[in-house]
Amino acid sequence: MSVKSQRKVAITGFGCVTALGKNLTETWDRLYQGHSARVPLTVIETEGCRVREGAQAELPNLKNLIEKELRRLSRASRLGLPAVGDALEQANLLDLDGRSKLPRLEMCVSTTACGMEKGEEFLRGVWSGQREGQAARVRHYQAQHQIREIQQYFGFVGPSMIVANACAGGGNAIGHASDLIRSGLADIVLTGGYEALCGLVFTGFDCLLSLAPEACRPFDQGRSGLMLGEGAGFLVLESEESAVRRGVKIAGFLAGYGHCTDVRHLTQPTQNGEMLERAMQMALQDAAMSADCIGYVNAHGTGTPLNDSAEAAAFTRVFGETMTRLSSTKAALGHTLGAAGAIEAILCLQALQSGQIPPQINLQNPEPLVANFLATRNELIEMEAAMSVNLGFGGSNAALIISRS
Amino acid sequence: MKLSIVSSGVVCSGGFGSDALFGKWAEANVSNATGNREHRVFLVNREAGELRRWEKEARLRRASPISYYLIEAANQALEQVPHLDRKRVGVVSAFFLGCLVYTIRFFHQITEEGRRSASPIIFPETVFNSPLSHVVSALGIGGPVYSQVGDTSCWSNALRTAQVWLMRGTADHVLVLGAEEFDPHQLDAFHAGGLFRQSLCVGEGAGAILLGREEVEGGASLLEVNDGFSFGDKKQAARAVQRCMENVPLDCAVMDTASGWMRPLAAHAIGNRRILLHVEGLSVEASTASCAWNTIRAAIMLAKGDEEKIAVPFWGLSQQCGIALCGR
Repeated sequence: MSVKSQRKVAITGFGCVTALGKNLTETWDRLYQGHSARVPLTVIETEGCRVREGAQAELPNLKNLIEKELRRLSRASRLGLPAVGDALEQANLLDLDGRSKLPRLEMCVSTTACGMEKGEEFLRGVWSGQREGQAARVRHYQAQHQIREIQQYFGFVGPSMIVANACAGGGNAIGHASDLIRSGLADIVLTGGYEALCGLVFTGFDCLLSLAPEACRPFDQGRSGLMLGEGAGFLVLESEESAVRRGVKIAGFLAGYGHCTDVRHLTQPTQNGEMLERAMQMALQDAAMSADCIGYVNAHGTGTPLNDSAEAAAFTRVFGETMTRLSSTKAALGHTLGAAGAIEAILCLQALQSGQIPPQINLQNPEPLVANFLATRNELIEMEAAMSVNLGFGGSNAALIISRS
Repeated sequence: MKLSIVSSGVVCSGGFGSDALFGKWAEANVSNATGNREHRVFLVNREAGELRRWEKEARLRRASPISYYLIEAANQALEQVPHLDRKRVGVVSAFFLGCLVYTIRFFHQITEEGRRSASPIIFPETVFNSPLSHVVSALGIGGPVYSQVGDTSCWSNALRTAQVWLMRGTADHVLVLGAEEFDPHQLDAFHAGGLFRQSLCVGEGAGAILLGREEVEGGASLLEVNDGFSFGDKKQAARAVQRCMENVPLDCAVMDTASGWMRPLAAHAIGNRRILLHVEGLSVEASTASCAWNTIRAAIMLAKGDEEKIAVPFWGLSQQCGIALCGR
């Protein structure tokens, strides 16, 4: 016997750090105005790569940490901690000292590269015979260490689940958090994702010829690749009863989640987008919504030739003529891999709340299938729900539906 | 939610299939990457026919050893249930280090030969969820798929994911996998982390259990999973370990699963409960794979009627601990 609970999952807090801003307000302002964060990269070594630009974030300050403690943190933690802080604060889960009011708080988090720059330093240390500092590098590389740093910084304990479903992982982490709440296994879950730029992953995408030599142009016929980025996005999900009991403002609901795997190829989606279509249909069914309820879709839209055409095909079949607005924010923020699904879910929520739609920037010749749906600058609409979709290596597909409070 | 342990699969240095857990495990002395120390390690025979046969699968031709361990263990578990609708099977795999061999090879290549010579073939195989993608593709599995990462307690987390999917009807059966592959750099990392101070033996391999909602006559069940007793240092770990054991009945046998610095803390928390001492190979630390092997051992003992209930703790070494309570 299975239990499909109708327990509603409220979103009561959210925060992000991106290459466009140190928090959601800065990110949203620049995103809506049509800025791109693309710059020559200085935070990682790119000598020898075909492409040397990307979207790097400015690290926000962290209260209560001295310089020595900051140096110990991985870049991933430096991005994740402020985003978590904003989410917890908005959900009224922080006390005056910035510590968690809850001693125990469950986490569902996504990343693909963990604290990879520490792992890279460790390997270089092994090869050069360096012994000093190796223990710390090993420790700080592991994903569970970033979780531990979040727990210690905010003073809580509890279960943590780290999902590494590549670029769809952020959507999976949020969806799984919602599943935990709807199953009655948790009341409140801190969920999201983080990703820091690192040499190994950047070089990997470069050698796949997946990086755009110039501007990243999702859904443009002349698109030539993606722009790698970094950032973190975190949300507080809780049962509606818990939010009401705590008297905290509900920003929206995580109304639907769908996920499935495309087994055709390790790095390329099936060209008719059938598995993404399936994930979207699952999410709609889970939310008990029809496609015309969705006012905005934040596409995965990497700007690679194969991804965007598969997505366009899937959108056309799911939404037909009912689709209103569509954009990929990766042209502005960069592709943040394991954090993408989380950051983009937050942008959907912000679009729902503000009515503002992030424009599709860098368009010259739009893909005909979706040309009429791509958002332009200064668009304002009222909508009931928004959808965020993500695809990843390994064939991961995830779709989330966020509805108004 | 009580779940049945329907079938299992094992890949270890003792061989293939669950009987291999109780046989003689092959060991070797292997030098670390620095070349200044040797350690006793328990490696899978990577040339064995049980693994090499998967080379016929196009997706696996260039895959890392961990992909081979995973697919062989998963296939063993699935083959025992021939009429299963694989489209309704979910898969969740727990990893501690994941695709170590190719990640190190790729980074070595770009460090030594320059970024321009990076291999587009190797890079995708370094991604955490690549091995599982190969598995579901080759075995025709159509349900939800998660790759989860963490310390050894990631296994109990994966069991919990399976519970959620089965509770919510996302899948009818869930294959839970744990797998690790060995690379000599791991010895350098474990040495740096002080893990060899307590005579820890490193291993590799994979384990799989298939969970379902249906009752299996005479079979073992997963009664409960308690996880998420997190810790940041040894003092917190001592408390987490105690709390982890609190709900385990005093008359319940407890599997001996602790390694490294966790051993004394675990022994204290287990207290006077009866300890099921490990058999030879199961003292090997292969992280999530070891967790799978210990769960399978418990399932076998329960099915044989050796015990009524067994608690299988997954102590973690850097994140959290959890425990699975198994019964008949």
